[in-house]
Amino acid sequence: MARRYDSRTTIFSPEGKLYQVEYAMEAISHAGTVLGLLAKDGVVLAAEKKVTGKLLDLSATKEGGYGGSGEKIFLLSSNVIGGLAGLTADANSLVNFARTAAQRHLLAYDEDIPVELLAQRLCDMKQGYTQFGGLRPFGVSLLYAGYDPHYQFQLYRSDPSGNYSGWKATCIGANNGTAQSLLKQEYKDDIEVKDAIGLALRTMSKTMDSTTLGSEKCRRSAVEFAVLTLDPVTGKPKAKIYRPAEIDLLLEKEGLAKKDEDTEMKAA
Amino acid sequence: METSFAITGKGYVIVAADTTASRSIIKMKTDEDKVKTLSPHLLMAYSGEPGDTVHFAEYVERNIRLYQIRNLYPLRPSAAAAWIRRALATSLRSRSPYSVNLLVGGYDTASHDPHLYWIDFLGTMTEVPFAAHGYGAYFALSLLDRYHDPEASLEDGLIALKRCIRQVEERLVVTPGKYKVKVVSKDGIQEIDL
Amino acid sequence: MSRSYDRALTVFSPDGHLFQVEYAGEAVRKGTCAVGVRGKDVVVLGVEKKSVLQLQDPRTVRKVVMLDDHVCLAFAGLTADGRVLIDKARIECQSHRLTVEDPVTVEYITKHIAGIKQRYTQSGGVRPFGISTLIVGFDPHDTRPRLYQTEPSGIYSAWKANAIGRSSKTVREFLEKNHKDDLTRDETIKLTVKSLLEVVQTGAKNIEISVMEGYGKVTNLALAEIEAIVAEIEREKEAEAERKRSRLAATAAGQAAMSSRAEETGASDAPVQ
Repeated sequence: MARRYDSRTTIFSPEGKLYQVEYAMEAISHAGTVLGLLAKDGVVLAAEKKVTGKLLDLSATKEGGYGGSGEKIFLLSSNVIGGLAGLTADANSLVNFARTAAQRHLLAYDEDIPVELLAQRLCDMKQGYTQFGGLRPFGVSLLYAGYDPHYQFQLYRSDPSGNYSGWKATCIGANNGTAQSLLKQEYKDDIEVKDAIGLALRTMSKTMDSTTLGSEKCRRSAVEFAVLTLDPVTGKPKAKIYRPAEIDLLLEKEGLAKKDEDTEMKAA
Repeated sequence: METSFAITGKGYVIVAADTTASRSIIKMKTDEDKVKTLSPHLLMAYSGEPGDTVHFAEYVERNIRLYQIRNLYPLRPSAAAAWIRRALATSLRSRSPYSVNLLVGGYDTASHDPHLYWIDFLGTMTEVPFAAHGYGAYFALSLLDRYHDPEASLEDGLIALKRCIRQVEERLVVTPGKYKVKVVSKDGIQEIDL
Repeated sequence: MSRSYDRALTVFSPDGHLFQVEYAGEAVRKGTCAVGVRGKDVVVLGVEKKSVLQLQDPRTVRKVVMLDDHVCLAFAGLTADGRVLIDKARIECQSHRLTVEDPVTVEYITKHIAGIKQRYTQSGGVRPFGISTLIVGFDPHDTRPRLYQTEPSGIYSAWKANAIGRSSKTVREFLEKNHKDDLTRDETIKLTVKSLLEVVQTGAKNIEISVMEGYGKVTNLALAEIEAIVAEIEREKEAEAERKRSRLAATAAGQAAMSSRAEETGASDAPVQ
């Protein structure tokens, strides 16, 4: 029955649903998890990167860059980092759009784009893709972690329908229900960044399929990680997207690192 | 002869402009308000080509208001000034540029300090502690170099303003007469009778 | 049968339906409920507010928005569509001020919004907006409160009181029964809350009330105020039920007395039904 309303571009079904949008959300629930935590003095993003094959050459992304050279976490503006879950190709074009929108605001107003406004800009476009003919919706959900002087640190989440909402701690992608309920139990309102980092990684390790984490040593899945805080000297927002080596260090500190079972690697 | 002044002090900006509307050598009216309230904490004094001024000021007013309605908070003074400057710079490169000079004064409710921007019709913008446009500027700027105090109370600020006005009256061939004076501080905007 | 008539975005079916528009109406009926009630010199908007999840920021959940200083809008349906449409309306409000120096009238902006919606039912390759709106406000230099409704089809209409969204039919019927002309401020607010309670079971914490009392005078009631009104309504309901019970008891007692008397007099065919 329902097939009549879900094969073409986005139109209403008799029950008033937009199946294309719902299917897009379905696509995201298989994507690597991204979770965000709002702390008193910063925001934390953690993401699970799916490594598809043993022979995948990750050397190009080994160093990591200021803009984020991974697949999941990107610098959208100097005051906003984004975590994406969904179709990687769609995500890339959204990142591009977000960066342009942020720079356009900077050009017009000579200030960093307010976080919610950036989320709105993206959502307005996402909404357009659910309403205009010939287009399919974006298969991407995003987390926006940012800072602006109006509402200080903020965390937003948006989905393919073009809805967005503000959160203290939230999660998109695979197993997001589990992660969300874990966060609900563990999150405290006045949490600090140093504790939020641990909580994010712990929650991540519990929701991911593999039991131990690694930046990329463990070939099945890897973690990307970023923190946005205020620079104590300049008072300006400072985004730090962790390099793989730094993530390993972090995991070790939290006691979540992969134990030495990679004997073949060690031998080599 | 159009004249506008603006002076910052401790937690406030005074923005003042003459109230004459003239055409060539004729005074058309003497109660024109040339200081526009753009948002709860933002003032803009405008002068220049009559017609251009009002048209541009209204255009700015509506756009700043739109931003506030859309986002539930108003633009900060620095952002508003940057937007206004860009609007002028864009218009300068169009077929019919606006010939408008502006003083934008506001109180930033996020960083809790006053800001004043001097903008001219070429799209130049600088943040300054005090500013003036028109013939009055020739007398006022040197006076304010001497008497401006960024930590001055509102009373002292108004005294400095009166000094400028008196000097203009004394020295300028055609004096503007009355002035409209507005102050923006953390409590918003109020009009002051000199 | 209707197969090929509702897939190309919006075209007539042989029996004269625009299916996409009707389905958009279904999306509205899935949305949270919003009620508008006009009093003598006040107009009230009440909306059902979904419970905010524990870790969510309530600031970003907005159902009632200002279009300009004197016009307020509530919507039901797809939130993202709502945001986009509201943005268009806000631009028109300022643009109108810029061109004719006057603020928009409530009817003008309603007509504008309805016009946009109509275009989305007719132009090529777009689906209709999946939202209905209630628009309230005061015209400049006027003291009469206004209340309008727009639908996905682009129809707009003026109302004394109306509801959109989930269970709007029940609420509308309730309003039809209980609305009177020239309600005072408090009566209007109470009627709004009362009608919302028809669909909102969870009480005050899921209700949001905005009151407009004149040009540019808008207040949102605090939770405590709404709680007080809900409590008052509940008390009245209780008292009403109590009265009903005692009345029933009285009649029952009367009947009992009568029948016992009948027994006393030996009449066997007492009319007890």
